[in-house]
Amino acid sequence: MEQFISITLDLLNGFGETLTIFFVTLLLALPLGLLIAFGSMSRFKPLSALTRGFVWVIRGTPLMLQLLVVYYGPGLVMGQILLTEAYAVYLTFTINYACYFSEIYRGGIESISRGQYEAGKVLGMTKGEVFFKVILLQVVKRIIPPMSNEVITLVKDTSLARVIGYYELIYFAQRYSKNAGLLWPLFYTAVYYLVFTALLTLLFRWLEKKLDYFKT
Amino acid sequence: MNMLEIKGLRKRFGSIEVLKGIDLSLGKGEVLSIIGSSGGGKTTLLRCMNFLETADSGEIMVNGKSVYHACEGEKPVVTPEAQLSFGLVFQQFNLFPQYSVLENLMLAPKLRAKRKSTIGKRESMEEIRARAEELLATVGLTDKADAYPCQLSGGQQQRVAIARALMLSPEILCFDEPTSALDPELTGEVLRVIRSLKDSERTMIIVTHEMEFARHVSDKVIFIADGVIAEEGTPEEIFDHPQSEKLQAFLSHSQKE
Repeated sequence: MEQFISITLDLLNGFGETLTIFFVTLLLALPLGLLIAFGSMSRFKPLSALTRGFVWVIRGTPLMLQLLVVYYGPGLVMGQILLTEAYAVYLTFTINYACYFSEIYRGGIESISRGQYEAGKVLGMTKGEVFFKVILLQVVKRIIPPMSNEVITLVKDTSLARVIGYYELIYFAQRYSKNAGLLWPLFYTAVYYLVFTALLTLLFRWLEKKLDYFKT
Repeated sequence: MNMLEIKGLRKRFGSIEVLKGIDLSLGKGEVLSIIGSSGGGKTTLLRCMNFLETADSGEIMVNGKSVYHACEGEKPVVTPEAQLSFGLVFQQFNLFPQYSVLENLMLAPKLRAKRKSTIGKRESMEEIRARAEELLATVGLTDKADAYPCQLSGGQQQRVAIARALMLSPEILCFDEPTSALDPELTGEVLRVIRSLKDSERTMIIVTHEMEFARHVSDKVIFIADGVIAEEGTPEEIFDHPQSEKLQAFLSHSQKE
């Protein structure tokens, strides 16, 4: 019992690391995704082509491979590792998720009827006002289901960080199998992920309810 | 002086010329109806006036002041004042779904007041609110002030849209087939509101398929076909004594419906 409690607490530390990746990524990727979405919707052809090409590369290669390239890549070119494990993880996860988010945003933005923009324009609103005061909340309402999918995937993708030696929950648990021959802590980590994704599911459900008062 | 003067308005989409030089004028407080078959250019004309499309060439004057002047190949600037000379009520209402009825009315004037606050002359929020409530009463929806668009019938939504368009006191209020998206039993309430606006001396332009309504509410009717004004005149002239074969054919078709 004592062992169970001490391992639970130790894994909780590891889960703290997992949560750090999760929140840093979310905080940075949510706005960055919007910038990328604007880039890929730009009427300036070279910019939209470049952005779409970039999104294709990021979405078309494994996140694990991207982590390795960002962490070890500079070493191959310049002979030394530039980023710490933590920064490499934050950077890679942020860019990767921003690309996925950008496609969800783009779909959401393009699904809003042209009439909404036109109504704003004939009422003398500026483009920025139309976007932030009229369009944005309608987009948010529409993209909650796909976004909740992505965010829940992110919880579990954090476990990939260990390939470049970032100590997160799975890494913490594996130490017990390596050092003490205990396998159950590794399986036990599932509980942490499940509890957290349950909370997220509830949060998204609440958000959906909150925006239920209008129809788009 | 005429309230509205349009000279030589042209617009093409790709290789199709939709407006082939439109000239028209309208006095203050007059109501103009635009009729014609679909694809003839009625809606495009209205959208050019509201700057949702940029006309390729031609001039638009409001109250003797040029608000739009384009020559072939030049991009004219549309000032906020020019934009606000016109108000537009859409076929599909286009209310903002996340805002209540009152908020729909107040949003644009509020943002405008905020933008102007740097200059000093600023309409207060209380004034905007009072105006919104007054206009809601005009369209008979005072009791729906806190409702959301999805809770309203199509006819009620369109009445809100009319009140919203009036919030910024446009010189000329335009309607793009305001009853086409409504069930037949709901068109009456919207047409009644438009008729009451005529009584208050509002200058209006209405693109419509409701011939009976056009006949009763208009001071002037134009028939647009193939991008030109094929015929214009008083309602009596247009509906009782159509001159061209095209108009005669169009009217007999619309009567059958």
